[in-house]
Amino acid sequence: MSRLGWLACAAGILAGALVAQDGSTQNDWPHYGGERSAWRYSALDQINRSNVGRLKAAWAFQTGKVDGGFNATPLVVDGVMYVSSSWNRVFAIDAESGKEIWHYFYQNPREIGIIYSPWTRGVAVSAGRVFFGTLDNHVVALDQKTGREQWRVNVEDMRQCGCNITGAPLIVKDKVIVGVTGGDSAHRGYLTAFDVSTGRKAWRFWTIPAPGEKGHETWTGDSWKHGGGSTWLTGSYDPELNLVYWGVGNAAADFYGEARKGTNLYTDSIIALDPDTGKLKWYFQEVPHDVWDFDAAYECVLFDAPVHGVARKLLLNVNKGGYAFVVDRTNGEFISAWPVAENITWITGVDSKGNLVGRNEPPVGQTSLICPSIGGGRQWNHGSYSPHTKWFYTTGIEWCQAVTVTPEEPKEGLNFFGGVFQLRQPMHGPAGGHLDAYDPVTGKKFWSYPSKYPLLASQLSTAGDLVFSGDPEGNFFALDALTGKKLWNFPTGSGHRGSSITYSVKGKQYVATPSGWGSALAGLLPQLWPETEDFPPGSTLFVFALPSEER
Amino acid sequence: MIALALLLAQSALDPSVIARGERIFAQSCSVGYCHGVAGAAGRGPRLRGRSFSKDYLLNVTRDGIPSSAMPAWKGRLKDDEIRAVVEYVASLSSATDPAPPANPMPPGVGPASMPSFGGPPQAARGHALFFDPPRNHCGACHAVGGRGIAVGPDLTALPVKSPTELTSLIHATRSRHVLNAKLANGEEFPALLAEQNGNHVRLYDLTLPPPVLRALARRDVVSLVENQTWRHEDFVKDYSVAELQDIVVYLRWAATGQ
Repeated sequence: MSRLGWLACAAGILAGALVAQDGSTQNDWPHYGGERSAWRYSALDQINRSNVGRLKAAWAFQTGKVDGGFNATPLVVDGVMYVSSSWNRVFAIDAESGKEIWHYFYQNPREIGIIYSPWTRGVAVSAGRVFFGTLDNHVVALDQKTGREQWRVNVEDMRQCGCNITGAPLIVKDKVIVGVTGGDSAHRGYLTAFDVSTGRKAWRFWTIPAPGEKGHETWTGDSWKHGGGSTWLTGSYDPELNLVYWGVGNAAADFYGEARKGTNLYTDSIIALDPDTGKLKWYFQEVPHDVWDFDAAYECVLFDAPVHGVARKLLLNVNKGGYAFVVDRTNGEFISAWPVAENITWITGVDSKGNLVGRNEPPVGQTSLICPSIGGGRQWNHGSYSPHTKWFYTTGIEWCQAVTVTPEEPKEGLNFFGGVFQLRQPMHGPAGGHLDAYDPVTGKKFWSYPSKYPLLASQLSTAGDLVFSGDPEGNFFALDALTGKKLWNFPTGSGHRGSSITYSVKGKQYVATPSGWGSALAGLLPQLWPETEDFPPGSTLFVFALPSEER
Repeated sequence: MIALALLLAQSALDPSVIARGERIFAQSCSVGYCHGVAGAAGRGPRLRGRSFSKDYLLNVTRDGIPSSAMPAWKGRLKDDEIRAVVEYVASLSSATDPAPPANPMPPGVGPASMPSFGGPPQAARGHALFFDPPRNHCGACHAVGGRGIAVGPDLTALPVKSPTELTSLIHATRSRHVLNAKLANGEEFPALLAEQNGNHVRLYDLTLPPPVLRALARRDVVSLVENQTWRHEDFVKDYSVAELQDIVVYLRWAATGQ
């Protein structure tokens, strides 16, 4: 392509992106993933590569409960921050001063007794309300101004389903769409939409088809009734196509698949639904018949890019097994897959049609070495797409596990793993993590920032060509988006497990990050890094800005 | 509890009890993100190489830890199984190796013994139907035996003998509890009164299952009167007579144990 042609093409793509799906946030951070395209990218550039070294703490906010860590993404709407922390504590905070406006502490029952707790990942804000899911499986709507409860609905008895809600809801028009945990329990997953004003159920999409429905033939016997397929994170939305995209989790039992022969739709799939009806428009299954616990539940990043010279509307999803899958988001057509970790032994690759090659299924009754571990070639914490560099920033983890598969019968409300695992050192190089910059379509790696420990915090990229993230030792840092060079670091005193954001109030740009070590994965780390057992928990929101004279 | 404590004292250091505890632990406590293989640490705390008193272990295993992910195992494991787990975990205190054994799953591991439902097969089928989520199940509004969402009356002691009786009960229901709520914005819905507190009213909106607990300012509720017309949604049509019979058997089993 000539230079002029390339420019015209790029301009066309850019124009298309602006009309169809501008995923950049401006002054606010209105949704979980920034905008609903899940870029986690801000057009703000007051803080940039040249001045980030002078970034200073502006204020800090304590949530008061440290167990489970601080795993949330704060939202900012019109200068007010909304954030949730462990045990469903929800706060509205003046985003400029750090002063609390209101708080709401949801009263959970004394015994939760299921493994998906007590962390929470965030709230949704729309139509004068703040929405969140609870550890005891309710959806709650609060008055945005006062924090007073408006409605709540118990989605399912958590004692029976062994499920609850830890992910942030997604707002689409007049509906609040909420996922569910339970992928490691004897549970059948779903996605439910509620009317924002009344809380009445609008629709439900079951991630496992019932008898008589298309796809049910991919399950044997009664396995579909408790086959997992949870929707434990937050989906994305393309208003132009009017499609909501959601990643579906692993099949259950996690490791024992003999009782559910077949591909087990729609586990480990990206599903595209009509948000008005909840009807399935298309799906793409990343891992047919999963016996490794390799969810497709992570974020769906919606971006537009040329593929073989043709502008395409794409969706990128990093699978827990360590491969990023790219599909056409209009129809689910496979485009490409590329690895985010070096130690991957459960498959040897993905072919040009998107099929897994060289499946390495752990035999029942034996102990096998599989890489990556159940914690993933990447954890759930989200990557970031920058339209400025056109790169995708995400983490990878090098670790393996000895997995022992055992037959298991499903039991109401209880875990359903079908085996156990222990973390193991990888074959190539030491266990650890890295944060990398990739071409999102080809997976070409531009730089890599190494880390002693797995990086378990999300990435935030900005028009200032910065990438923010944090590490388990408590460092919050900014990297040069073009080179990966560390430009700024601030020790917050407790490890990072949540998602940082940036916003602007009265012309001043702020960067906010949760700090607070904890979660299921944090608890596993001592198996490879014994010293991490003593890493301090916390639950503090840190907010940074440039000193006034620097702006 | 006293009997269990006595059993503990008697069983101290019995290798067969510890081995049994190891098997149960592997299936119930190692799994997933919990305590890890042989207590090596997971999302729950490390148990290897730590000293806990057996009393403490017994209490925590039986009753769980409130406001935590640690469940109460009473009702999920039998007393002697809990005792075996306690013995096994206590035996891990002398483990100094951070690395657990090479074969993490001891031979003979099977599912933990407590089935999810203890009743006879027909009652078990009825139980499953009562709580069948895709059919907007009974359990979305009624509790039986501590399960289900207790918005409507608890049905644990519902005196019902036949599918016909159950069907007519469902069709005839004009519960004295169900009200008609009219709001200032013109909205109207069948409601159960959950709470009145000063200027606030909390109502269950029964328009669609699952019921929604709505908090309203008193001034926004124009009227709240007995609902003369409300009936259960006719979900009986979703069940065959044989299925209704199963539910009847389940409810009878829940009420009488037979």
